[in-house]
This record gives sequence, structure tokens and C-alpha cells, in this order.
Amino acid sequence: MADIEIEIDGKMVGAKAGEMLITVTDREGVSVPRFCYHKKLSVAASCRMCLVDVEGAPKPQPACSTPVNEGMKVYTQNGKAKASQKAVMEFLLINHPLDCPICDQGGECELQDVAVEYGSDVSRFSEGKRIVPDSDIGALIQTDMTRCIHCTRCVRFGLEIAGMMEMGGTGRGEHLKIEPFLKDGIQSELSGNMIDVCPVGALTSKPFRYELRSWQMHSMPSVARHDLVGSNLFVQTYKGKVKRVVSADNDWVNETWISDRDRFSYEGLTHENRLLEPQIKVQGQWKQVSWKVALNYAIKGLNSHVLKHQKANQLGGLASSTATMEELYLLKKILTEVGCDNIDHRLNVKNLNNTIAFDSNIKLDALEKIDYALIVGANIRLEQPMINHRLRKATKKGADVDALNVMTFDFNYPLNTQNITAPNKIASTLAGVLKSIMTSNVQELPDYLANVEVDEVANNIASKLLNSNSSVIILGEHIVNNEDASTIASLITQIAHNANSKTLNLSITANTIAANLVGFVPQNSGMDVNTMLAFDMRGFILLDIYPQYDFHDLDAAVKAFTPEDTFVISLNSFKDDIVAGYSDVILPIASIYETSGTQLNINNDMQSYMAAVKAPDEVKPAWKVLKVMADLLELPGFHYADSTQVVAEISHQSYVKHIHDECINLTSKHNGVSTIWQSSPYSIDVVLRHSSALQKTKIGQINSACMNPASAETLGLSANDKYLGVPVVITSTVADDCVFINANHATHIQEQV
Amino acid sequence: MNEACFKNLTKDQCYSLKTYEASGGYSVWRKILKGELTPEHIIDELKASGLRGRGGAGFPTGLKWSFMPRHSDGQKYVVCNSDEGEPGTCKDRDILRFNPHAVIEGMAIGGFVMNASVGYNYIRGEFMEPFYRFEDALKEAYEAELLGQNINKSSVNFDLYTHLGAGSYICGEETALLESIEGKKGHPRFKPPFPANVGLFGKPTTINNTESFASVPEILSRGGQWFADIGVENSGGCKLFSVSGHVKSPANFEVPMGTPFKDLLKMAGGMRDGAKLKAVIPGGSSTPVLTAEVAMTMTMDYDGIEKAGSMLGAGSVIIMDESTCMVKVLTRLAHFYYDESCGQCTPCREGTGWLYRILKRMIDGNGKQCDIDLLLGVQGKIMGNTICALGDAAATPVESFLRNFRPEFEYYIEYGKSMVKG
Repeated sequence: MADIEIEIDGKMVGAKAGEMLITVTDREGVSVPRFCYHKKLSVAASCRMCLVDVEGAPKPQPACSTPVNEGMKVYTQNGKAKASQKAVMEFLLINHPLDCPICDQGGECELQDVAVEYGSDVSRFSEGKRIVPDSDIGALIQTDMTRCIHCTRCVRFGLEIAGMMEMGGTGRGEHLKIEPFLKDGIQSELSGNMIDVCPVGALTSKPFRYELRSWQMHSMPSVARHDLVGSNLFVQTYKGKVKRVVSADNDWVNETWISDRDRFSYEGLTHENRLLEPQIKVQGQWKQVSWKVALNYAIKGLNSHVLKHQKANQLGGLASSTATMEELYLLKKILTEVGCDNIDHRLNVKNLNNTIAFDSNIKLDALEKIDYALIVGANIRLEQPMINHRLRKATKKGADVDALNVMTFDFNYPLNTQNITAPNKIASTLAGVLKSIMTSNVQELPDYLANVEVDEVANNIASKLLNSNSSVIILGEHIVNNEDASTIASLITQIAHNANSKTLNLSITANTIAANLVGFVPQNSGMDVNTMLAFDMRGFILLDIYPQYDFHDLDAAVKAFTPEDTFVISLNSFKDDIVAGYSDVILPIASIYETSGTQLNINNDMQSYMAAVKAPDEVKPAWKVLKVMADLLELPGFHYADSTQVVAEISHQSYVKHIHDECINLTSKHNGVSTIWQSSPYSIDVVLRHSSALQKTKIGQINSACMNPASAETLGLSANDKYLGVPVVITSTVADDCVFINANHATHIQEQV
Repeated sequence: MNEACFKNLTKDQCYSLKTYEASGGYSVWRKILKGELTPEHIIDELKASGLRGRGGAGFPTGLKWSFMPRHSDGQKYVVCNSDEGEPGTCKDRDILRFNPHAVIEGMAIGGFVMNASVGYNYIRGEFMEPFYRFEDALKEAYEAELLGQNINKSSVNFDLYTHLGAGSYICGEETALLESIEGKKGHPRFKPPFPANVGLFGKPTTINNTESFASVPEILSRGGQWFADIGVENSGGCKLFSVSGHVKSPANFEVPMGTPFKDLLKMAGGMRDGAKLKAVIPGGSSTPVLTAEVAMTMTMDYDGIEKAGSMLGAGSVIIMDESTCMVKVLTRLAHFYYDESCGQCTPCREGTGWLYRILKRMIDGNGKQCDIDLLLGVQGKIMGNTICALGDAAATPVESFLRNFRPEFEYYIEYGKSMVKG
């Protein structure tokens, strides 16, 4: 890779012609101070802190914007370089308030660090200092703009990464002010990264404000658990509490960014709704008991209701897909050991022969190199922010993106076309695409395509796919409960096969890929979730389930769990009235960052993490609870000293894949108004629903049942009504015969509190 | 005198197409349209003429034009910098008012040489009269089929647009000017890449000053050697000087390079009210100030002014007589740069305000003797450390005023009042 040699401070080093000097010095470990330069942002060359002496150049040159060439001689430490660096440092400090003692950035401030080496002990500036008024930019970011040094990293982050220029520089000269253009504050789903890129205390974390000094905290590497990416991050803790989360670098996964969801969800951990003690229900009354009593009660109940009567076929195990891979594996192992095959994690899915096992065969870094993407049924920017970020990078290099959605969503890149299509028309449009492709390829058409009409939308998509060298078709969450879900998934598989496209399954989230890997699905001829809920069951083991948010049919679930002779063991991390209503034992389990575990992301990276804090009070990691339950049931093969042994055991097993049947049925027409029910982005799991700052943001406030005027008329609804408990919004941006619900379940929790 | 840009100055309606064509205007352009001139020939003539950029930096125009990748694919642009904002200069304003067609023809020739089919003339926001004059001339040129697509049935295309600024000194910096045309804030770009490779809208672009473009047609019609012979070694041709300040008849004068300063002063009617000359800023407010003794022996050409310790700059000669308080002049200049800094890079954003505040404190009677060294220290820390030349422009006067007139500053600090005005 090195094709030239340059001399830095008397040492010859290899470099690539044309790369910037600062890239070389960083690689070689030569320290050059900087503020505006950020390796993932464009070069601004405006702070002038990285000025160095280049032989032959009359003026000092900024290392960040000076391309290297053969034989170049650079001095980063000589008199000329140091004088320039010290000059810039002095200018940066004259108007800086130097209020480090009350600044949250203190101790992790780039200005503070560099000032130690380049600053002067005494200021020569005796004029009045500049004061900059602050604007409230929302619940996540605290501004103290008097501290701003105008490096414009936040501005460039917004423009280049978040895709929305929300911060900008207004005014000129000394009056240049970095501020949001709109009074509504910052709206981006990636906004928290501005805190990380800000080199000073101008932008800091609002929930963390005045909490602690950075050096007081322990920093533990961990993995985010709210989406398919598993962003790498550092969990910062103090006296056993999570105090802050910041991003960690991993180019393969999240580069250097994390979503606001991953950054601020930790706040939910200390919510008063946390479940802290084991409890058992005795004669309809809840009693807080010790673990020993609770576990014995659980095992006794399991034995008396199910196992003693050889009724393992009437026992069911259900788990949330947010569970760790170890938890899913151990619960499955217990169930199969006691002879139970009724296992499932697909709780919210009406039609189980659908999208869940749809293949993803593209990795994150490949996603940013595609030249065409078709998104089917996803508000991808809010649902999978970090995957959308890769897609946005592809569009910046010229990729085209088409959407096939039930309503218009805000994208942070231009779409080629945004095709608003009714839920019952998506399958026929895709069939048209397939027919168009097969016709172009001069292939024999299968019978089911014979009578399919190919409209302009289908033709355009087909020609884009055929003319692309590297395309991807993305299947989104809005398809999960579409009546045609399995047809849609099969059609996309066929289209991808015939157009040589990659596919990406975003209809699943969190740790679903791990659940599929360990085979947390019906075994042998076991029942699936929907069958279980309709069957006469004698017992359930439920892992972190909250029926009113997790099941598409709440009533069926509650009905199945409630009968007197059905023994229900619930492992939960948060309190929930409905869970308390039907359970016989509730065991408090650790939430995110409180347990070791493994996340399997869209790249198939098995990312294991340690617990960053000990779970509060009597709360235990679920994998340990499950292990003890197995011991009490006297099951063999549960001698694990720690969770890594569980992962090792999983790794030795072959990949258990849930097979999805190809089935294309274009005749089943669902008529009338269909409802697409989608949790709003900040209420998809129980921790997020309890994270207060996130709930205060614009995205956190999303709670609407959108429909067009015609659908509203059909349903007899007007703008002040509620539909399925969600406020109605009438907008012509929704397709015909469709209600798109983006429900914020956290509103229920706030009402309860 | 008045041989190139101002040659029609005294004629009736000197700005009209009729007058311009009657004196041989557009003859070079018509030759190009007929295919009688090659880009190589034009560049050679310009090199021979010794024409150097009239905007301030003095870079040889012929050489600059030869740097453009004229054979590369894609759009290229020529841009005329008529954002004449340097305190003391008003020459481009008069070219636009009295000889707009020379600018149009010069830009069209530039477009042909550099294979750029589109040009922009960026006119300073306050120049309403020149703007309308130029627009009228542009209309005349289009009507006479001298601009447009396949001009006069040739294969030559050249469209020219006027862009009116919005009142910012920094937009006279060529890359800030490009940003401004693109609709962005006028922030200078860092270099490399240079505009010849990545310029307007990311395309190869050449930017020249109004006077440079306006000189081109006359040079090409009378030959490079003719122009070179008017001037002196290393400074070809004639040049417009804007003489302002304490003279009887402040005005623009187009005189041969190498004209002695004292002759130029005479042309401007000499000192007002018979006062004694005290100081001269020879090239606009960002060039070093000179004392009377030095100025009176200087010749007005690149080398002559450099030898005297300053720069020719844009040819804006500011004359100050004995009644001038140099502390107040410097304070006024410092305020100008403080006000006009774009704020993008640290030394200029913070340093210009610091310089102004120290001087303001001095004027208010609160100066300290150590402030003089502080001023020198601060200007030295701005100098050479910024993205564009505005930082240097703000620093230069401070250094030269203190070097040449230090006792006045010491007096002001000591007594809290001006040495000159009492």
C-alpha cells in the first residue's frame, strides 16, 4: 500500500501519494493536535491547530488538508510548527470561558488536553469575552455554545452522516454562531453522535448533565441490543449503575456512530417499574419471597401441573427476541430435555409461514457499495438507523433507491421513486416485477404469473434491477402481518434469484437471528405460538414477555395464560400488570448491560459481551436462573460455570435453520381496509419504553394511526378520533385501504405512573 | 495615458457597443469566431505582454490561462472577479461603467482559450450602477450575436451571466466568490485543490480580475509586445491606479507601469490645501503603509513598490497628509477586517477582534505601553496561519503602521490623545 516515502521529524515512513498528511502521522503514531479534523467527516481545515512545517512551503501547512508527495519533509515539532500551533491555541482560548470546573466535558475535553501541551499559563487577553446565547435543541443534547470553538464537526456530521443539516453556522467573523436553524431542535435519529464528535463542552449529554466526571466511571465494552446491527459501544458505570453510553469504533459494524436509541436506552434500567424481587402467587395474592422459595415453587408447579402427568406436550416456551442467545438456547434446552417441543419466539406474527426465515445475504460493508436498492415495507431510517446509514452512503456514491411502501416516509436521501401501494397490492406489484424480469430474460413463465398485469411501476423496478451490477431488495417490518406476507417473501426470493440481487431481511429485529440459529422454534411436531394460544395448555415458561406489546392478539394470549390449571412461570425485567394477572411465579431477570450474553447481527457476527453492572437488588441474569431451574429439574448437561461455556456449546452445534416454504398465492385477495401495526421506533422493547429522555423526543412522541380521507370515511373516523386506541391522523400520503399505525406504547406506561 | 481599459473614456457614450466597436472592439473576438486565432497563439501573446493579474496577487495571466486543463472532458468556467472591495480601490467600478464591452470580450476570449462555454461576472453588491451598465452591455452583445450558442454560425459557444454579490469583502477572495456563486456562504476554500482543477461547481475554473479581462482585447489586437513595451521589466503594460485621500483631484488613472509616484501624485492635483505628504498606502488597505520619504522615490510597478517595502496590490493609492492620526487610521482598518472576517478559521476569527479591541482601548485612552508588543505579537500569530489572505491582510497594516509610526502610538498611550490632532 505504501508507494512513496516521506520524512516526518527525521524518520522515513511509507505513504500513499495524495493521502492527507494527518492520515500518515496518525498511522505512524506521530501526535499532531487537531480539532476540526475527524476521520469520518470531510476536511474543513479551519481550526488550524494541525499546522506543521513542510520543507519548501513558505507558510505552515495544515496536516489535515496537505496531500503527501514523494520526498516530502515534514516537521511536526520544530520551532515553526510549534509556534503556529501555540498561536492557534492562544486564539482558541481567548474567547473560551475556561469554565472547566463546571463543564461536563472536563476530563475528556480535547481542548483541555491540547491546552496542557500548547496553552500558556497566563492569558494575555484582557478584553471582555464573547458570550453566546443557547438554544434548547431537545431532550438529548445540552448546549453551552459559549464554549464552542467553531470546529463545525457537528455541522458536518448533520450534513454528511445524519443527512439533515440541523446545525449550521450563522453570522460571520467573531459573530459566527453554531446553532440549529429551526426552533424545534434536533430531530435526527443519530443526533447523539454530535455529543461524541464535539471536541469541547458545547454539546454534551442532557440526561448525563452534572452527573459525574468521566474519570470516576468504569468503561465497559458492550453491544447494543435494539436492532440488527448490534452497534459496539462503551457502557460507563459508577457504583454499579449505568451512567452513560458512548460509541465504540468498529468499522465492520457501526463504524464510529451509534443511534440515539442505543445511546440513551440505558435510562430505562433505573425506572421505578423495574422488577426487583422474586414473587409467587398464593391463593390469588402476590408474595415477595426468596429465590429459593420462588424457584422451588416454580419447579413444584411445573411438576404438579405438567411433568408428573406426562403432559410435556401441553407445556409451552415463549421468548422475546430481545433475549440473549444464551438465554434462548438454555430455555430451548430445558424444554426439549423435559420433552416439550412447543417453542417459539415469533410472538407478533399472524401468518407464521412468512418472512421470518427469509434470507439475508448481504453484509453491512457491502450494503454501502450497492448501486440499487428496493425497499419493500419499511420506514428504514427510524426502524434500522444504522443500516439506513449504510444505504445513505451508497446513495451518496450514486446508488438509486426505490421504495414500495404503504405511505410516504421521510428519507434522508433522495428516492428514485416512492411508490405508495395498498397492502393488498404489494404482492401483485412484485409479481409484475418478476414477470417483467423473466420476460426480459426470455424465461418460461410459471403459471401463477400468466394473468399478472405488469404496470409501469413494476416495469421501472424490473429494469432498475436488471441494469444494476449490485442490487439489494430489502424486506421490511411492515410486511410481517400483511395477509400476503409469505407470497411477498417468496416473490422477492424469486426476483432476487432472477435479477441476481442480494436480499436483506429487516422484517425481524433485535436478536431474532440468534433465535433462529439456536432453533427457538417448534421442534419435531411441536406447536407454534398461534397454535399454543388456541390449545388447552397446562403450563408456560415465558421469557421477558409483555403481552400487550408483544402479541398481535392480546386477548388470545391472555386467555391462553390465565386458566386456573395453567401454571405460568414468567421471567421478566420490568413489572407489568397483565403479566401479574396470569402468572404463578414471576422471576426478576437482568436487563441490558446487566448480564453477559451474545448478539448475532445481520453480518452473522457473534458479538459476546460481559455484564457492565450487577443487576439491582435480587435481580439475576436469566441464563443463571435457567441453569438453576434445570438443576432443580435434575436435567443433565447444565454444568456451566459461566455464559461463555454456553456459547461454546452453541458454536459446536450445526446451524438450526427454520425452513420457510416457498408459496406464492396471488389469488387470495384481502379486501377492505388493512391495518399495518408497527411499534414506534422508541417503544419496540421494554427498556426503550422506560427511557424517559428518548420518550420526550419528536421520534419518541410518534403515536398515530395514519389513513387517507377515503379510508377514514370507510371506517367512519375523523381527526379527533382514536383507532385501536391510537390518535387518528388523516393524510393523503397513505395508500388506499390502509391504516398505518405507529403506536407509542410508552404512553401507557406514562399514564400508569 | 489611458491606452487600454480607459481608451474610450472621453468619447460620447463610451460604454455603448457602437463606441466600442468603432474603436476596434470585438475585432479579436470576431477573428476567433472565424477560426483565425488559436488558443496557443493567444496564450503566447499574453505571456509576451507581461500582463499580471490586476486583482492584487499579480500572477501572470498568460501562465494562469495555460494551467487550465482545456482538453479535459466536462464543463469548465471562466469567472470575472468584479467584487472590488479593497478599501481604496474603485478602478473596476469605472471599467464596468465606462468600458463593459472590454470585460465581455476579454471573458469571451478567455472562455475560448480555456474551452469554457460559460462565464460568470461576480459584481460587488453595492455596485448598482456598474451592474446595470454591465447588464445593458450584455444585452447589446447578445443582440449583436456576439454571445450565445454557435455564435454567428461558428462552433463557438459562450454564455455569460452576471452575479450580484450581497455586500461581503471576503467574497472578493476567489474561492469564497465561487462558494457565493454556488449559493453558499462566502467561506474561502482551502487549497489544494486549486480552482483550475476543482473550481465552480467542482469544475475547472479560471478567475481573473475585471481589469485583467478588460486589458486582453487591446493586448491581442495590438500585440503582446506593444503592451509589454508600455511598461517596465517584469511589469508589462499600463495599469489603473485609484488615487484617493488628501489630494486635490482624487481619480482613477491609467498610466504606464513604472510611472514615478510623484508624477502620479501630480496627476491627482497634488496635495490638498498645500499640505505635506505623511504616508502612502500604495496598493489598498492590506498592503504595508510607506512613509512620505520612501514613497516619493518609488516607481509604480511591481518591483518598484516591492523595493519600497510594500506591494502594488490592486493599485489603490491612499494618500495621507500631516494632519492624519495613524492610530486612528489603523483602528479604522482593524475594525474593517474585524467586521469582514468570515469567521471560518481560528486565527482570523479571534485575532481580528483582538487587534481591534486593543486599538479601540488605546483610542479610548486606556492603552498600555505593553499593548504595542501585544499588537505585534497578535498580528504575527495571525500572519501565515489562515486559510485565505484576509488574515494576512488584517495583520500587515498593524506591523507596518507600528514599524513606521511607532512614536505616535506610544504618545497616544502615554497621554491618552493623538500626537497629531491634540
